[in-house]
Amino acid sequence: MTAPDSPLFHALGLRKSYSLGAVRIEALRGVDLVVQRGEFVVVAGPSGSGKTTLFNLLGCLDEPEAGRVVLDGVDLGAASQGDRTLIRRRKLGFVFQSFNLIPVLSAYENVEYPLWIDGVPAAERKRRTEGALASVGLGDRLKHRPDQLSGGERQRVSLARALVHDPLVILADEPTANLDSKTGVAIVDLLARMNAERGTTFLFATHDPSIIERAPRTVRLKDGEVVADETRGAL
Amino acid sequence: MKFAQIALRNLARNRRRTALSLLLIAAGSVAILLTAGFVRYSFGGLQEAIVRGGLGHLEVGPAQDLAASPLERSGFPGLAEWEGVRARIEGLPHVLASEGVIRLTGLASKGDRTVAVMGLGVEPERERRMSFELKLRVGAYLSDLPPAEGEDGVVLGVGLARALGVQPGEVVTLTALTADSTLNAYDMTVVGLISTGLQDLDARFFKTHLASAQRLLGTDRVSSLLVALDDTERTQEVAARVRDRLAGQPGLAVADWESRASFYGQVKALYSGIFWFLGGIVFVLVCLAASNTLLMAILERVREIGTLLALGTSRGQVAAIVILEALWLGLIGAGLGNALGLGLAAAINAAHIKMPPPPGAASGIDLRLVLAASDFVLVTALMLGVLAVAATLPVLRAVRLRIVEALGHV
Repeated sequence: MTAPDSPLFHALGLRKSYSLGAVRIEALRGVDLVVQRGEFVVVAGPSGSGKTTLFNLLGCLDEPEAGRVVLDGVDLGAASQGDRTLIRRRKLGFVFQSFNLIPVLSAYENVEYPLWIDGVPAAERKRRTEGALASVGLGDRLKHRPDQLSGGERQRVSLARALVHDPLVILADEPTANLDSKTGVAIVDLLARMNAERGTTFLFATHDPSIIERAPRTVRLKDGEVVADETRGAL
Repeated sequence: MKFAQIALRNLARNRRRTALSLLLIAAGSVAILLTAGFVRYSFGGLQEAIVRGGLGHLEVGPAQDLAASPLERSGFPGLAEWEGVRARIEGLPHVLASEGVIRLTGLASKGDRTVAVMGLGVEPERERRMSFELKLRVGAYLSDLPPAEGEDGVVLGVGLARALGVQPGEVVTLTALTADSTLNAYDMTVVGLISTGLQDLDARFFKTHLASAQRLLGTDRVSSLLVALDDTERTQEVAARVRDRLAGQPGLAVADWESRASFYGQVKALYSGIFWFLGGIVFVLVCLAASNTLLMAILERVREIGTLLALGTSRGQVAAIVILEALWLGLIGAGLGNALGLGLAAAINAAHIKMPPPPGAASGIDLRLVLAASDFVLVTALMLGVLAVAATLPVLRAVRLRIVEALGHV
């Protein structure tokens, strides 16, 4: 994989802490991370290592106490609330551990949603929504509500929703944690295929060793610090 | 897919809670609707009762008399050449008829009983053409033709007849001050007993033929002309035409029924106060209940709202979803309330429920509800307003959510 001129993500000295009662927890202690376009990066580490906190900062969902994140040349710390909303809407895709589908919307509507709030014309929305659902193998489950789908199907809908607006990067926070191992492998295979075929950049948080072993690049977190950054080759 | 659609589907998630909220909103709508129906009927009924009870739609008379309150008016008839004025008024469209009246006060005596009285000299045949309501309780009414001197008749209020101890066929003596300030008395035969609908007035009131009243006061004038129209709604329109037609007579004035019926204004103000007080209670109750419902719905969907925000939904769009949920509740609840209110009003009207007499009134009234299309619009608009207010707190709660905390909410 060749690196373009500028990195997609450039995180520098990220710090974040939380209060848990009287205790102050340092979730991130000065994390530096550079992610190039088209990379598939696994962020590995045990529970409490800071993976989700890092994803929240990279995903424009939270702000660091110190340090900065530059996404596609834009300093997220300097962006307004409205700009951050637009960045999440247009440049980022999210896949959550618990799928986080909107229960009152069908599979089709869930996937269509990011395009709809961005004002994409109806015909274009239809083409891209059907394409995204077909690419995750759910072309025949369009009208099903989330509670009518299996865990694997829900996560594929979630993936289609993250892909449908062609984001610069998809942040997948432990997307296989709530799935059985077979379904989890299928989802990882799907992400790998998207990465290879579409060149979509993926940041994938997990502590599953079988996934970490396959990752072309693994960033290991421990106690809020990057303890290793290993590049292994193609997924 | 639209936000309105999402909002509607959200309401269907917790059907029992939504149903309870809708029930409350519908009940509030029904309460307002039925009250509005009753108030409208009361206003309309009172208005017609006042006009048809002898006040007429318009009164034409000396300007100084019409400017004064009824108790402050001159005791002497001041309108001369009134038949010519009447002819000009009766030529106008929508005028049913006009009668000359004399207002008089004096004493009524029978044997050793004497009662201070107030009465009217009227033209019975004109009253009939003017559709004036006559509540004759016993005996007959005054004759259409002017009675010959010595054959004067009078109808007494039932309370006055009781006070004097007379029955139809007996003679009473009416005494009044004439225009030259001398006392004049006439014996008049009681031909019937009437009720005005007001107990206090029934104890003082009498009516006699205009010709008898003129003889008693020694005048050929009248106090004023009462004018009845074919439609109360046209009162102002006809009043303007009468003023135009009488423009050459500067001493005359025209007054509409509402300006002469202070009682109507007081009742209207009282009923309006009750209506708005009830509306205020309904507003508060519905607002609190709906706000609680919406807030519960938000608290149950914290993670979902976090997801919407993470996907790039603006906080304004999240607020729109919550507000639309509130408006749907208001719209559906008001719709149910309107349908229920319409049915209940029809049932109540069909049941002919009798209400006890209002204070001072001599007889009870039917409970009837008169609904207008504007009532349904008003109720719907009111409920939408209430729900918009009720949504304030839930909206603030929703838009102030921190995305990270919302996504981690269990």
